Amino acid sequence: MRLILFDRPLAKRWNFYPLALSRPIWELRCGITSLAEKLIARYQPQQTACFLPEYMAAVYRARSGCTVNDPASLAGEDLLLVDARVKAAECPLAAAGPSQVALDADGEVLVARINRGDLAKLKTTGLEELLAAAKAALPAVAEAVPAWNYTWDLVLESPHQITRDFQALGRSGIEGKVEEPSALRGSRGDVYVAPGALVHPMVVIDAENGPVYLDEGSTVHPFTRIEGPCYVGKKSILLGAKCREGNSIGPMCRLGGEIEESVIQGFSNKYHDGFLGHAYVGEWVNLGALTTNSDLKNDYSNVSVVLDGHNAINTGSTKVGSLIGDHTKTSIGTLFNTGACVGAMCLISGTGKPLPKYIPCFSYFLEGVVTKGFGKRALYDTARTAMGRRKQQWTEADEAMWNHIFEITAEARHEAVAKGRRVLAHRQQ
Amino acid sequence: MPSVQDRVIAVTARVLQLDPKEIKLEHSFTSDLGAESVQSIELVANFEEEFGIEMDEDAALSVQSVGDAVKFITQVCREQGVDA
Repeated sequence: MRLILFDRPLAKRWNFYPLALSRPIWELRCGITSLAEKLIARYQPQQTACFLPEYMAAVYRARSGCTVNDPASLAGEDLLLVDARVKAAECPLAAAGPSQVALDADGEVLVARINRGDLAKLKTTGLEELLAAAKAALPAVAEAVPAWNYTWDLVLESPHQITRDFQALGRSGIEGKVEEPSALRGSRGDVYVAPGALVHPMVVIDAENGPVYLDEGSTVHPFTRIEGPCYVGKKSILLGAKCREGNSIGPMCRLGGEIEESVIQGFSNKYHDGFLGHAYVGEWVNLGALTTNSDLKNDYSNVSVVLDGHNAINTGSTKVGSLIGDHTKTSIGTLFNTGACVGAMCLISGTGKPLPKYIPCFSYFLEGVVTKGFGKRALYDTARTAMGRRKQQWTEADEAMWNHIFEITAEARHEAVAKGRRVLAHRQQ
Repeated sequence: MPSVQDRVIAVTARVLQLDPKEIKLEHSFTSDLGAESVQSIELVANFEEEFGIEMDEDAALSVQSVGDAVKFITQVCREQGVDA
């Protein structure tokens, strides 16, 4: 069976703004692994191919080595086509069975299982054609297919998912090095220190309320306290961090200060003190010293998030922190409001007050307003430097992808820049 | 209506908190008038608001002197059909 992951350019994609602007939704993390890894673990395909928005295809192809947007991958095999938003563990369709489709409430195909014999009767010239043909020709399953709807769904579910992933992976014990004196609370069976991981002296690992997984090459510096459930990705470093429960930290991060129930995609820094809670942080983000986000309103009401610059979405949760896009950098003392949505490629200068809840992509937020700043070229130069420091390359494909993102996010940015300009001019009169 | 030059000098004086009489066309925004990086961005924003134009940030920030700003803004106004 060939698993086809798809992330179609539907309006619902924007529910995963700004994180999914530069990656397919299935690359988002929840628990120890990404959504794709969960789908692959569930269905155990012989092959995997994928379809995603064309503007990110070259970057994703280079990073993943996956077959991307290739119509040939839609022929010659039993296929299981799965929307990136499908919750792997709760999908009612098994890998094998009669050809069937599962639709969401809007009639969009979430899953299509198509046996080779039936596939020969359907149009396979492209993903859209195949999904349309499958929807028209195949019976639909009666059960609903649970799906992720927003980025904060992943954040809120991640702590529980870490526990499930830990059990599914089935690893425990100390294969790396734990230097004494260190304190381990809870069961040793709920801790895994992978080969090459190093825990310095004076570290507390508290697995009483959930497992702690320190992946290969991770390092935990003295005076760090890690509460489970927690996952620390490959080569990430915790620097005296107060790592409270429920964090999923991707590879190559450098983290200090207080972090709670947050997801950090990878390659991001939060070296210093400051609180990050119920947040989703992209890649190549740098949070300056004392950058702090609110994740709880003073009146304990549900947090709302503005993803498009206009419409507030009630998250249904009293705890939601910031969504911070790739390559965004914050100054010392930046304060993010509850449920802030901070675009990718932003440069944020703190004002001493909580910032607006919505900051569009490619914003230079200075003096309390969104400006054009020094333009995208300067941001690209910074991105190139930041990636180079971790031996990663900023490629022409990256630049082309970000140029496209610059265009598709232009409207919200122009609006914010015009408003900022008026405020600046008025202030100086 | 004041000239483009007068308006550029007025905006520059306001943003950099200088006496307009001290600002000469040959003055560099940074080395002569002391504009810091954030103020350069504020200058661009204020010129756009003053003239009702949109400037390419890379091009705008490469302008060094007050006189060059007058020329650049005059050209942008012409290109964007704005009376200046």
